[in-house]
Amino acid sequence: MTALVSGVVLDVVVMASDGPPVWLLAAGPAGAVATYWALFRYYRNTDKSHSYERDTIIEAKPVQGGREKIDHISKTRRSGIDGDNSSRHRQRVNRLR
Amino acid sequence: MTEENKPFDGPPLSLEEELAAARAEPEAGPDIKTVNEDLADGVNRCPKCGSTDVRLRGSTGMLVCLFCRNEWQESRVEEEFGLGEGIDDLQGTVIAGGAEEIDDDANAVVTLKCGGCGAEVVVDTAHAMNARCHWCRHTLNIQQQMPNGAVPDAVLPFRLTHDEAVTRIREFASKRQLFAHPRFKKEFVPENVLGVYLPYLVIDARAEATYAGTGEVQTRRWTEKHGDNSTTYYAADVFKVDRTVQFTVDDLTIEGAADRASKDESKTNNIVNTVLPFDTKNAVKWNSSYLVGFTSEKRDLDVDDLQPVLQDQLLSIGRSQVEGSIAEFDRGVRWEQEGLDVGGSRWVSMYLPVWVYSYFQEDTKMLHYIAVNARTGETMGSVPVSQWRLVLAALTVGTFLEGIAGVLLVALS
Ligand SMILES: [Zn+2]
Ligand SMILES: [Zn+2]
Repeated sequence: MTALVSGVVLDVVVMASDGPPVWLLAAGPAGAVATYWALFRYYRNTDKSHSYERDTIIEAKPVQGGREKIDHISKTRRSGIDGDNSSRHRQRVNRLR
Repeated sequence: MTEENKPFDGPPLSLEEELAAARAEPEAGPDIKTVNEDLADGVNRCPKCGSTDVRLRGSTGMLVCLFCRNEWQESRVEEEFGLGEGIDDLQGTVIAGGAEEIDDDANAVVTLKCGGCGAEVVVDTAHAMNARCHWCRHTLNIQQQMPNGAVPDAVLPFRLTHDEAVTRIREFASKRQLFAHPRFKKEFVPENVLGVYLPYLVIDARAEATYAGTGEVQTRRWTEKHGDNSTTYYAADVFKVDRTVQFTVDDLTIEGAADRASKDESKTNNIVNTVLPFDTKNAVKWNSSYLVGFTSEKRDLDVDDLQPVLQDQLLSIGRSQVEGSIAEFDRGVRWEQEGLDVGGSRWVSMYLPVWVYSYFQEDTKMLHYIAVNARTGETMGSVPVSQWRLVLAALTVGTFLEGIAGVLLVALS
């Protein structure tokens, strides 16, 4: 595992010079890592669990709430907000009350 | 009524007492009594011929008398105890008889007096709920809700047969042969699958969840050139976002045995969790005849132990409910705080049927399962892998991709 990951890094560092798109050389190590994890998950299914958020009978009233503008970012290279957890329902954050 | 014979209703309360009474939590709702009174004597007789030779007929989900072939079943708890109703009005924590707190001192081994011949028969409730009298062959059933957690309020009978489970497990494993650990392949005997009733707490609840965080809306996107390279930049408005949602859940199902509930990495318990959900609406009143021929696991977690798990799941459900309302924040939302108010919950303990094939991997000391939901047939498993084969496959793919990349680079330069 670590050998494969450092392989990716090594390739990128060594080949990072002008010329043709050398990042293509990362394809080998990246493909190896992806293959390992895809197969491992297919056999071991360590990532699976019951989706109670979806497979339970839930009746919700309309969602309430609002928004308030607090800042403006005039220039950033980030394409999204830092720490987006809007679809990671099981990642707990600070508890109110 | 004169002043003299007015009924005495105690001395007036002091101000402190009045305030304390006003602040007190609403009283917990009534318990639900789920004891099956018909079976009070521990003997489950066929209503037609009176024989006690009764067991579950898997293909129909009904009880069958082995003597006269009469079939019948217990009533569904859903209607019998009104479990589907009134979730909107739940107050406090309502606990059914079979989900009550476990008394740690209560013995798992119970001695029954045989109703047929008077002999004493021992049942170890940790593993079985029936025993046969050696003398007269009467079947004796544990029907009383003892405080040892062995008797739930309801049971969902097995529907998938042993053969059907074997077929599903074989299918599951045969799709995962190439990289399976050689010892697993050699020792794989799907016929060794066991039918187990696992203890669950099935919960109806009413809750209000609140979330607060930060969201961003993109206002501009542009590209700047620096020599040969170009960089994309963004501008965005930042908002404080808050959301509140009220909801009810019907039959949320949580593991009632600590061994099965622990999701740490050294176990593959997530496999058993993954075959949820069950059609819990079809669960019937407790009758241990449904358990003949199956093993069962005892519940060892109380409602109090599981409150944090319930809260955790309700918070996740609330988060998924509000997700649709934050689409305007196209750069995403970061939730920073969340709060939960459980207005009321109702807890019923149930045995749910699972076919389990287990395999202990010697070299890693890990217990792997292939589990089949014995109602829906949903199958999930963990198959031990052969690490070196997996690495070899990964390296092969990697080398192949690297070859293509090399060819492309040569062609482009
Ligand atoms: Zn009969
Ligand atoms: Zn007897």
